This record gives sequence, C-alpha cells and structure tokens, in this order.
Amino acid sequence: MRRTATVAGAFVLLAVAATIALVVGGVHLSLRELLAGDESARLVASLRAPRVLLAALVGACLALAGAALQALLKNPLADPFLLGTSGGAAVGAALAALAGFSPFVSPAAAFAGAVGSSLAVAALARRGGRLDLQRLLLAGLIANAFFSAVLLAVFSVASGQTARTMLFWMMGSLADATPGRVLALAPYAAAALVVLVAYAPRLNLFAVGEENAAALGVDVESSKRVVFLAASLATGAAVAFAGIIGFVGLLVPHAARSVAGNDQRTLLPVSAIGGAALLVAADAVSRSAFAPAELPVGAVTAAIGAPVFAWLLLRSS
Amino acid sequence: MSPALEARGLRAAYGATRALDGFDAAIGKGELVALLGENGSGKSTFLKVAARIVSPDGGQLLLDGVPLDSIGRRESARHVAYLPQNLDLVFPIRCLDLVLQGRAPHARGFSADSEGDRERALEAMRACDVVGLADRDASALSGGERRRVLLARAVAQDAGIWLLDEPTAGLDPRHRLEFLELLARTHASRGTTVVLVTHEIDLAGDIADRVVLIRRGRALASGPPSETLTPERLRGTFDVESRIETDGQGRRRVVPYAPAR
Repeated sequence: MRRTATVAGAFVLLAVAATIALVVGGVHLSLRELLAGDESARLVASLRAPRVLLAALVGACLALAGAALQALLKNPLADPFLLGTSGGAAVGAALAALAGFSPFVSPAAAFAGAVGSSLAVAALARRGGRLDLQRLLLAGLIANAFFSAVLLAVFSVASGQTARTMLFWMMGSLADATPGRVLALAPYAAAALVVLVAYAPRLNLFAVGEENAAALGVDVESSKRVVFLAASLATGAAVAFAGIIGFVGLLVPHAARSVAGNDQRTLLPVSAIGGAALLVAADAVSRSAFAPAELPVGAVTAAIGAPVFAWLLLRSS
Repeated sequence: MSPALEARGLRAAYGATRALDGFDAAIGKGELVALLGENGSGKSTFLKVAARIVSPDGGQLLLDGVPLDSIGRRESARHVAYLPQNLDLVFPIRCLDLVLQGRAPHARGFSADSEGDRERALEAMRACDVVGLADRDASALSGGERRRVLLARAVAQDAGIWLLDEPTAGLDPRHRLEFLELLARTHASRGTTVVLVTHEIDLAGDIADRVVLIRRGRALASGPPSETLTPERLRGTFDVESRIETDGQGRRRVVPYAPAR
C-alpha cells in the first residue's frame, strides 16, 4: 500500500512539473488559456510537448541508472558519470561530430561510446575473473580523466559552428527535441526500467553487500553484468539524446531514498519518475530564466543539485 | 549416511594467494564443529566456499553427498546459511527486512515478503529474542544484537547448515555468553549442523562436538576437543607452546604461554 502511495505521489510531482514546463518559456502561457483550448496556446504547447517528454525520459534514464548502480555497488556516490559511462558516450559523439558525420549519427556514436566505456571500465575492474566493485569505481575515475582529456582535445581542434554545437551538447541540452527523438529514446528507457525493476529484489541483497547476495543464492557475476549493462544502456541513450547532464543520477536516488526508503522495488520506479520530474523542471528553468536566451540544462541541474546534495549530506551526518 | 558437508582436496585462491590447498574435512549432520587456525590459514575461506561466495578452483565440496557445483546457487542457499563477522551497512535497513532476506532463496525472483515470509521472519526473531528490534535500523545495532539478528535470519532461512564466522569476536563477556547460549539453544532445538570459525581455543573446547585444525589451507587434525586441543597439535597449528589446565568446574583450559621456538 505504502509503495503504491509513494509511486503515485511521484507521478503527481511529475504532472505538476510537466504542466509548468508546458506554460513557461520564451512565450508565457497561462494555464487558463491552455485549458480553454486557445489556438495559439495549443500551438505553443504542442511545440513544447516533445521537449517536455524528452526531458522526462532522459531524467528517468539517468536517475534509474544512478539508483541501480548505487545499490549494486553498495555506494551512495555511484553514478553513471562517476563510472565513466557518460564520458564515454560524450567522446563517441564528439569524435563522430569531428569526423564530419551528420548529427543523426551522433546518437549511435554516443551509445557505442557508452557501451565501449562500460566494457573498458569493466575490463579494468576485472580481477581474477571477478568484477571487483571497489576497482570498478577507481576504473571509472581513470576513464573519466581520459575522456575529459579527449573531449578537450576534440573541442580545441573543432571549428566554428561544430565547436559551438559540441559545447552546447557537452553541457547538456534538450533543444533538439522532436517527436522522432522521443520515440527513439522511449524503447531504451522502457527496456532499462523493465530489466532493473525485475532485478530489484536482487539489488536489495546487493545493497547489504555483494557477499550477502552471493550467500543468499544470487549469481552475483551475471547479475552485475545485467545491471551494469542495463544502466549503461539507459545512460548511453540519455547522453545520446541530450548530452551530458550531471547530478540527476546522483541526486534523485538520494532524495527518493529519504522519502521511499531503500527497498529497490519502490526506490527504482520512484527514482525514475522523480528524475523525470527534476529534469522537466530544470529544463523549464533553462528555457525561461534568461528568455529568449537559453541556459544549458546541465548547468541548471548542477545549480539545483549541488546545494540540495550538500543539504542531504549535512542532514545525513 | 553422507556427511552434511564434506571437503575433498578443496582448493581456493584469491588471485595469487592460495587460501585452501587440498583441504579435507567431513562434517556430520547435526554436529557442531569448530574450525581453528591462525590468521590466513583458510578457515574463513572454507566457510565462503560453502556459502558460494568464493568459487573453489580444485577439489570438491559435497553438500549432503552431492557436489556443490552441480546444485543451483539458490538451491544451496536454502540449505546453507552464512553469518558474516560484520555487515558494514551503508544504506538503512530495518532488522525485520534484514531477517526477511533469509527468505529470498525460497522466493520467486528473490522477492520475499509474502505474509507467510513475514510470519516466518517474526517467528525466527522471537526465537532469537530480537523481535523488539524489528523496526530498528540494523546499522544502529550493537555487536551482540547484530549477531542475534543474523542468527534469526539463518533460522528464517530454514537452512540445515549454519556457517558462523567468528561469532564472538568483539563481544563483551555478557553478550558473548548470551549469544553462545542462544546458539546452543537454537542448534539443539533445530538439530542444525553448525560450523564455526573462531580464535577462541577454549570456546571450541567447550561447545564443539569436534574440532578441525587447519594450517596453510590444509586440515592438520580433526576429532573431539580432548584429542585435538593438545599442546603438540596446537604447536603445529599456531606455533605456540601451551599447557592444559583444569578449572574449578573440571573443564579443560588451554593456556598458550609462549611462541614456539
């Protein structure tokens, strides 16, 4: 019962965020206009709808990946960015842009980068045939150092318009939202959600410890692979469609845990919905704060995320 | 009748470090066996192999006469419960939920919280005098409470074999005695097989039916405490000189007094 109520509460939050996101922006609408079916209001809202949906899916992917990795690694600081998945995706897309491929290639390249990075990090973390969780975090650190060097190098040799697009993309942006992109991202998000929620009871055992999960009958190596891959899929897809957006994967699971507890069967769905709500709200801010100019949404999530994260940290000690 | 647990030339390693190097032991059904050995001798590794935490790289471990690697992981977790020395919790978890995890190997998809599971968990907590802790956060427990909650989990797990890794380490005398009383009581009433790893020679002598001495990954001796806990055997196991005394209640006490030269 409590689980249903918590999930429903998260949905209400998302609905509120989405409604606000539809009315604010370069042209402000009033809720009354929108509900009255005003022609121009509907037009503006329908132009914004794909962007709101894309924000929701990207936010859900990032928060879901963060929550699952935190339980798997028994580390509240685990996050797709920390493990180098996002960086790998960014490098993939950046190299594709530099090579002069059309922007349509960049999602594929980003996804390849995310999976490649996951494999490289997993190989670095492998020891004696096992995926060592402590080494995984260190390997992510190494990967990130390398990826940021590559990104800076690519950025410095890129020219004019390419560099500008890349910069905006590196900072995270939902400006390229189209119904097609929303439809393209949706299956990745759905697949990751289904797999990770199915693994939630195992993740509960992992959250107490890897040995704990093993002693209670979980095939830890195969479970780690599945969860790691599903989280990479969600992250790679999110980065591919919206660039690097930080803090969602770290922050949302923390907030969700303080409300919903640490039962992954509740925490994973609540994190996904909460991540959607956060990114929808952050994107509304990025569009309206300095309209008609737009802030990169990654800057907004960091600006909201950092203080809230600091507060969570202070409260927990 | 085949032993509950039997190791035949069991080998296991952590990277290049060999922990078990041809370990042989047979643990009979319903026995309480103490595993004694110096640090790094492989005794905890044996428990971890039996709990499917560490994979052996040679030899065989038989569960009820059946090779462990031919049994599914979940199936063996229904028969073998492991009580770690420490939990090192990072995320909050209620004691009841921790005990409920003992039901996970019995549940579809490891999703254990049916009404029946909850009833089993609470019953186990009552049997271990920890039902009052059900709603407490397990990371806030004292050492003694944590050991009892973990024992309750083993009871809830319905496993016939309990593996305890240094269950009395770090406990004050009262909590140590309370835990040992509880262990003796639950072991006797359920007829479970118990393998415990300990550094306390006298504890092994007092409560174990049989003692297995282990060094450098191999069993040195196995038998009743009076035959295994002798100065010669202990010199071979721990490199210490010791003498046997008898206390006021007629119990054998082993007094190690010097490192062996």
